[in-house]
Amino acid sequence: MAELLLEIGCEEIPAAWLPGLGEQLRARFAELAAREPLTTSGLRSLWTPRRLVLVAEVPGRQEDREETVFGPPRSAARDASGAWTSAAKGFAKKVGRAPEELLSLPKVAGGDVLYLAHTRRVEGRLAKDVLPILVGQLLRALAFPKRMSWDAWLDDGKGAFPFGRPIRWIAALLDGDVLPFTIYALENGAKSGPIVQSGNVTFAHRFLPRGEAGRPIQVASFAELLAKLRERFVLLDPEERAVRIRESLAELGRSLDDHGLASEWRDLVECPAVMVGGIPAEFRSLPREVLETVLVHHQKYLPIASGGALTRFAAVTNTDGSNVAEITRGMERVVVARLRDGRFFFEEDLKRPLAERVEDLAGVAFHQKLGSYRDKAERMTRLVTIMGAEMGLLTKPEHEAARQAALLAKADLTTLMVREFPELQGIMGGIYLRAQGHGWEGVASAVHWHYHPISIEEGSPPASALAGSDATVFGAVSLADKLDTLAGYFGLGLMPTGSSDPYGLRRAAQGVIRVLLDFWSAAEAEERPNLRRLVAAAVAGYGGGLSRTAADVVPELEAFLFDRLRYVLVARGYPADEVEAVLGARDPDALENPHEAWVRLKALHRVRQEAREDFEHLAVAFKRARNILGERREALPDATLFQEEAERLLDQAVSGLSGRDGGYEARLRALASLRAPVDRFFDDVLVMAEDPKLRENRLGLLARTLSLFYRIADISKLGGQA
Amino acid sequence: MTLQEILFALERYWSDRGCLIHQPWDAEVGAGTMHPETFLRVLGPKPWRVAYCQPTRRPADGRYGENPNRLYKHEQFQVILKPAPADVQDAYLGSLVALGIDPAAHDIRFEEDNWESPTLGAWGIGWQVLLDGLEITQFTYFQQAGGLDLQPISAEITYGLERIAMYLQGVEDVYDVRWSKDRQYREVRHEEEYQLSRYSFELADVELFRELFDKYLKEGWRTLEAPGGRSLLAAYDWCLKGSHAFNILDARGAISVSQRAGMILGIRKLACAIAAAHVAPREGTMVEAPRG
Repeated sequence: MAELLLEIGCEEIPAAWLPGLGEQLRARFAELAAREPLTTSGLRSLWTPRRLVLVAEVPGRQEDREETVFGPPRSAARDASGAWTSAAKGFAKKVGRAPEELLSLPKVAGGDVLYLAHTRRVEGRLAKDVLPILVGQLLRALAFPKRMSWDAWLDDGKGAFPFGRPIRWIAALLDGDVLPFTIYALENGAKSGPIVQSGNVTFAHRFLPRGEAGRPIQVASFAELLAKLRERFVLLDPEERAVRIRESLAELGRSLDDHGLASEWRDLVECPAVMVGGIPAEFRSLPREVLETVLVHHQKYLPIASGGALTRFAAVTNTDGSNVAEITRGMERVVVARLRDGRFFFEEDLKRPLAERVEDLAGVAFHQKLGSYRDKAERMTRLVTIMGAEMGLLTKPEHEAARQAALLAKADLTTLMVREFPELQGIMGGIYLRAQGHGWEGVASAVHWHYHPISIEEGSPPASALAGSDATVFGAVSLADKLDTLAGYFGLGLMPTGSSDPYGLRRAAQGVIRVLLDFWSAAEAEERPNLRRLVAAAVAGYGGGLSRTAADVVPELEAFLFDRLRYVLVARGYPADEVEAVLGARDPDALENPHEAWVRLKALHRVRQEAREDFEHLAVAFKRARNILGERREALPDATLFQEEAERLLDQAVSGLSGRDGGYEARLRALASLRAPVDRFFDDVLVMAEDPKLRENRLGLLARTLSLFYRIADISKLGGQA
Repeated sequence: MTLQEILFALERYWSDRGCLIHQPWDAEVGAGTMHPETFLRVLGPKPWRVAYCQPTRRPADGRYGENPNRLYKHEQFQVILKPAPADVQDAYLGSLVALGIDPAAHDIRFEEDNWESPTLGAWGIGWQVLLDGLEITQFTYFQQAGGLDLQPISAEITYGLERIAMYLQGVEDVYDVRWSKDRQYREVRHEEEYQLSRYSFELADVELFRELFDKYLKEGWRTLEAPGGRSLLAAYDWCLKGSHAFNILDARGAISVSQRAGMILGIRKLACAIAAAHVAPREGTMVEAPRG
């Protein structure tokens, strides 16, 4: 076996891409090598922002293999007199054999038609000849979240060669010998001179050690690459960098919340050195969200708390850890400048009660044709009023809190802080309300969170932040905001198309679904939101202000929300056919009560796992039944018309189940027991009997059987295997 | 190093590397990219190297001269290398050394930051360059300008001169920056910052600017489509004026989210048409004919 070492030296690749690229490097190379075929082992990928490295053990030579070539069908190999046809002779000549020496083989194992064939031994090629081509294929196969043109060209017949970032060197070695590979310049749309040629050199840290940076370093093996890079301030192994960062952070405090930064830090630098800067005391009174936004989101610095306040921050640098004083002074100055801005905004904003700003919203347009945010606040307030007063979804105090929150929700858009840090919208509204002594936490928290839920995962924010009435108030305001937006944009005909969703309407609709699934706490709610009524109310909220009629908008918006409900349920891990089955049930209607649809889905999923075979049979039977029945309604069958035992048995089973109450699971379990009578019914009974009376009676019985399921799920939608 | 010495050093450095040193464009622009020496030169096949300082107006960033870090108008130093040479990052880092920054003693990083100008139909891939956490440069490989795919790819390097001066001089307030040996930034620019902020936040006539915006773009189209051609440079000036009018309206808070999209699209359409006219192989475009 020989060691393959490939290092692709790049300009800085985004940190977020690197773990995925490392994975791709191994997976794509394994696939490409297998295709050659070339057996590989010990595949490993490593990376820094400036290099992608692949190491593998490969044989020095491909194994010899047999290859069969096919000629004409044997039936066309001889003419009527038994002499070889010219097609046969031509093929024999091509493969350098006499016609008599040829084999007769099917093209696929077990095939009926035999062809003239010749099997020859193909000598394996040397790995050093195969690998340079694989390098090119590997580079082509890497997928990036965003590719760039860098005027490069590959001689592989495909030409222009976009990549994630420009490649500046390639070390490609097989047991220390260079595997030749060239990237050419693209000029005027065509190939020009070479810009990168593979070699046996690498480059280390951009700036370290002082005076040596930028010099080529010769390497012959992976071990040497790793060692020489380490000596020169590059930790090639991401795990090694992670350990160094973890150790540094561990020294700073045991319970450091790393805000997900530690893993990003690993891939931002080649030589991590963690430094710590101070946050001047004057800024510690700023809301934590503001401090964290500045530190975490804008600077990728990690806040360090002590005594309940954020007093310091940690930052990763790409240095040898020297010159700490000057570097941290620089970082502190950036932090101070941003916090000074933040404090100024905070103090200015607090000078006016948030409620006063509601009127200012008249000057902030929500959409040219949909009015200002003042108008939106008004519509949202009316929507939560409908939820409370007309639909009975809110208690009196919840209703009042939701009304206030709906009116105040957008007021922080006029604050300096939100204009500077838009990601703090909503959050600042909540903070200002509390700071200004708005005593009602339910109002402040609803304002704070109303842009959520953003993620569709169960348990993602604000799931653990809100409970009880606060969660309901939040849910009402969040729904009102999103449904109002959806109704407005749909009302103007600005629906998302394909991958284009400039107004984030899919996410808004998913937010609606998630509120209905997760935030109308199941155990407590007496009334559940009827999404159809909410949609109608949201569209009506615009009065005549939309360019399309409610009759056009409502069904489209309902279909859109229905589709998002399907998406969220599938995303939660339920098989698509079960989701279709549940959403396909006509009564109850999933849009009237999405939460209940989810409960049915959970029940179906569990019971189907217990009785997989029963459901497979039922699904097949019901598909048949549906085809026969069309849109026929259920009818009580006339027992006197039964002729077969199977009819009577099915009727008894159905009658025994139709009055049944209880949870969905219990009912589904009971329904699964219909498998035997249903199977027997189809085996023994001719449904489409010639006598119309008999036929109608049998169809009625079938329809009645199906209707039992329709209250839970359309079983005919279930696939056989899922 | 004073602000003007920084400018001299950068001009000298890039002049030595083959750049034509141009002057700022004489119209209000929101970024050095809008200078025709960038926007039009990056189009088409002809190699070009240019550097210039461009005062850049961002009305919404005005702070009446009260904010130590934020300005209505700041100075960008802009370098265009077309095509981008293979050692472009090293060449850039060399310019920091020319400013007296020792890279081995600092944390200098290229962090992903892709640039996009929806008004110009332009975007690129690149980084912000961080010096001890301070963003001092935007570094971009242009991919598209005026909606056109570019080939060759240009590297655009945009330095924020005030920030670099603050860093080098160790001052916390931009108005304390020494512009020359004996003049501070405050003396040169503070009053202007106040007045321009006041104008764009309080005085600018919103209705007038709405009207101007429409008229600028209309005149841009009329000019561009004038019979006889050779008018795209004049049309481009109107396009820039439209963009500035948009920025003023934005600072006044007079643009809604959706209006914004529509207005940006209006500017972009004109910019893209100008770019298309510029690369169209006919007489009178800047590539073939000398201006003068």
